[in-house]
Amino acid sequence: MIGLLLCLPAALILGVGFVWPVVLLARISFNRTTDMGAMEEAWTLDTYARIVTDDFTWDLAWNTITLSAGCAAAAVALALPVTLLIRNAPPRWRGLMALMAVAPLLVSGTARIVGWMAILGDQGMVNALLTGLGITSDPLRLINNLTGVRIGLTESLMPYCCLVLIAGLGRLDSRLEEAAATLGATRSRTFLRVTLPLAFPALLAAFLLAFVLGVSAFITPRLMGGGRVFVVATEIFDLALETVDWPAAAAMAMLLLGTLIAAMVLRGVLTARKVAG
Amino acid sequence: MRRTLFAACASLALAAPDIAAAQDGGRMTLQAYAGIFRDNYTETVVAPFTAARGTAVQYHDGGTSAAMLGTLRAQRADPQIDVVIMDVTTAAIACAEGLVEKIDATTLPVIADVGEQGRQAGGECGPAVTYDHLVMVYDSRAVTPAPTSLAAMWAPEHRGRIALSAPPNIQGLALTAILAHANGGNWRNLNAAMPRLRELAPSVQTFTPNPDGYTLILNDQVRFATGWNARAQLYSDQSQGRIGVTLPSEGTVFQINTINLVANSKNRAQALAFMAHALSPEAQAAFTERMFYGPTNTRTQVSAAALGRTALAPEFRERVIPLDWNEMVRLRDSWNQRWRREVIAASSR
Amino acid sequence: MSHLGLERLTRRFPGTATPAVDGISLDLPQGALLALLGPSGCGKTTTLRMIAGLEAPDGGRILVAGRDVTALPPHRRNMGVVFQSYALFPHLTAARNVAFGLEMRGVPRAERGPRVARALELVGLEALAQRKPRQLSGGQQQRVALARALAPQPDLLLLDEPLSALDAKLREEVRDEIRAVQQRLGTTTVFVTHDQTEALAMADLVAVMNQGRIEQLATPEEVFERPATRFVATFVGRAAILGAEVVGEGMLRAGGATLLAAETPRPGKAEIFIRPHHIRPLAGDVMAENVLPGRVLRRVYTGDIITLDCETAAGNLLAEVAGGSPGAALQPGQEVRLGFAAADLRVFPA
Repeated sequence: MIGLLLCLPAALILGVGFVWPVVLLARISFNRTTDMGAMEEAWTLDTYARIVTDDFTWDLAWNTITLSAGCAAAAVALALPVTLLIRNAPPRWRGLMALMAVAPLLVSGTARIVGWMAILGDQGMVNALLTGLGITSDPLRLINNLTGVRIGLTESLMPYCCLVLIAGLGRLDSRLEEAAATLGATRSRTFLRVTLPLAFPALLAAFLLAFVLGVSAFITPRLMGGGRVFVVATEIFDLALETVDWPAAAAMAMLLLGTLIAAMVLRGVLTARKVAG
Repeated sequence: MRRTLFAACASLALAAPDIAAAQDGGRMTLQAYAGIFRDNYTETVVAPFTAARGTAVQYHDGGTSAAMLGTLRAQRADPQIDVVIMDVTTAAIACAEGLVEKIDATTLPVIADVGEQGRQAGGECGPAVTYDHLVMVYDSRAVTPAPTSLAAMWAPEHRGRIALSAPPNIQGLALTAILAHANGGNWRNLNAAMPRLRELAPSVQTFTPNPDGYTLILNDQVRFATGWNARAQLYSDQSQGRIGVTLPSEGTVFQINTINLVANSKNRAQALAFMAHALSPEAQAAFTERMFYGPTNTRTQVSAAALGRTALAPEFRERVIPLDWNEMVRLRDSWNQRWRREVIAASSR
Repeated sequence: MSHLGLERLTRRFPGTATPAVDGISLDLPQGALLALLGPSGCGKTTTLRMIAGLEAPDGGRILVAGRDVTALPPHRRNMGVVFQSYALFPHLTAARNVAFGLEMRGVPRAERGPRVARALELVGLEALAQRKPRQLSGGQQQRVALARALAPQPDLLLLDEPLSALDAKLREEVRDEIRAVQQRLGTTTVFVTHDQTEALAMADLVAVMNQGRIEQLATPEEVFERPATRFVATFVGRAAILGAEVVGEGMLRAGGATLLAAETPRPGKAEIFIRPHHIRPLAGDVMAENVLPGRVLRRVYTGDIITLDCETAAGNLLAEVAGGSPGAALQPGQEVRLGFAAADLRVFPA
């Protein structure tokens, strides 16, 4: 009883902050948009039909999935060595190192992107170095395109991967690696045969979290893509705030939400089956 | 509860000497753009109104026009806003949805003094209150001599140093319309604009200037961008001329803000009084002198210096292409698609 | 000849005042089982980890069959280690766990199968080869860990508290089994434990450790019957310690009585120590080399043995008597004469 009572604030916040807006959004998605952009109250699936039959939607979906899956995989791959370094560090340094690994979360997304512009821009640090050393004559195009979004999104997902992996690998008994060493395994074989397989659930969890965050990422594709990268989130933004087609924006948001929920449920089912089997 | 809170905020927002007077003339809430628009509009239009009428005006930062429309939609049942200044296409939606009142010269006589284009822009709802227009902004240190034509952006030495806004952003639509007009004789002639845009596409660094084109120029990231004249003029002054502003020889199009009475306003009398003031020659002149938005009241008297920095100067007047934004809304989706397929796709870097 | 040799092995952890292992040296003959016995924090596990190569010594050398292995990484030392928590690979079956070391050492696939089978058979687990560790009981996991350590035929078998996670009944069974397997294979073994019964029951040699040093290195009997130091005397087995004064060669005074001892330090304050099973309550006027009069305070009956807690002028003494022997009927409050031999009396300088 007291437990339920203690859950009440969280339930309220979730209800007011998430469930109710989603209900409103769902309602809007059934409205109709006139050809001059006005919204008419209705109960129609026209907007959904319009979105689903538009080839561009499927391009968006494909772009979004490949971008976030690639960046999530890269983020996990980059976060793993960092996490292993933290795990093997002397205990008194571990807290500080973990804090540094997740510190980017404390910086606002926009500020981070300003930093990336200074680094990756045509006149940025990387290009100044490359042209200064005579390696390239034309600046490399590292931002305002898909490359920029990939770099920025991977970087922004890394701290989340580090968080998940630090928690996941923390439970991994270091005695297992010692046991492998005493059984004649070199460091690299220990990593491949023991550490990696045992870290797999944590790696998968980190990947899924990063993927979901990547799919819903807006700021990085918008600000680092130079208008050349079209994903579901940027399209929702355009629909809501440029063309003011709220039913379409809402319908697309509902489709995204539905897909993400389905993915989560599927993952839950798969893990449950694996545990049971 | 909420009303009293608003009122309290409103009194706080105003200068101390106005508070006593403010209590006599009632109160109202204005929703319009934030930032430098707010600063200058408050000083040149809102404060004199409050001083003269004793009406407290709370200025509600509306963000973009789309966000303002969102606020109006959310408050449909219980409006907290009385007057809204927003972009003409968004205002048309608000008008069609009944979020703002239909209005004419019988309710608001000053409308008769608004030019015909300004009256038509608002349709049956509120008339135009400011004219702005698309300009080309450039880095005056890197681009010499000062360019007069959009063609300057096509020069190979500026490759990669151009920031444009792509449709559905209205600057992108405006640029496209100007190129259509210049190359095809009609702003609707998208096919005439496309080849020029495809040529320019590889030179474009970004189609989403962040935070805006002026800042990118000041940070040495780009040399050219599009902008709206009023802000561009202010930033040009603030940067001691570093940012150059050109009304292109190819022509320009107006960006029009209309002023509207929110439907079911609880302070209708004050709201109408404010609208009358905002459209009056005095208020229009004061705002034009300060921020170089073109006045919509034909009786407005503006100094030659200020007028010369708007599109209403005699030498610019003929360059303004008569674009109908409400017609543009219907073309927008197809323009948007062709931009994505032909321009942005051709701009891969 | 010495199979394992430690020479002044030292390990100092950063930020600690005293070394965890403080210059210990020992030699272990081929095929022997050495128990490192001591309380927690005495350095026994650190010693074992240094032998295995999991911990780098700050000083000293480790020799295996005359070869200096001090600088070798663990995977090149050919030692089998059984960890306290077993450290079985949870993602591999018992058979794959056992095969791991063979695989890492490059044993051909065809040879691996039979060797895994033999190792599992050795510990009686051939039927459970395909189980994952979490499907095995604690005792079974322990046996898999042993089979895994032994399968590659290590030069040395190292066991870190291998029984501590088992319940009391199983502990004895597995203890005897480890000893049997070790003897059958003749693998030189080092065994870390804080349990003196385990050490005494299994080991050929016991090294009693305290504060990073070896207090005594000797056979179990020697350690039990002739503890070299006061620490060994109190840590291994039960005993009473009484205050006394050495008054001459082989002669001391305690609680007003004069006692005889086989060996004594130089005259002065001393502590005397007698194992409870060496103390006999004397019937009537039976005489012994040493006699202390006292009174029974408590009597604890544990079946075949009765323990009497007796008060004497020199201090309290424990006496163990067999059921049915003289003294078994003594009850609390009764006067008693406690007798013991001079040879059973150990004297340490105070």
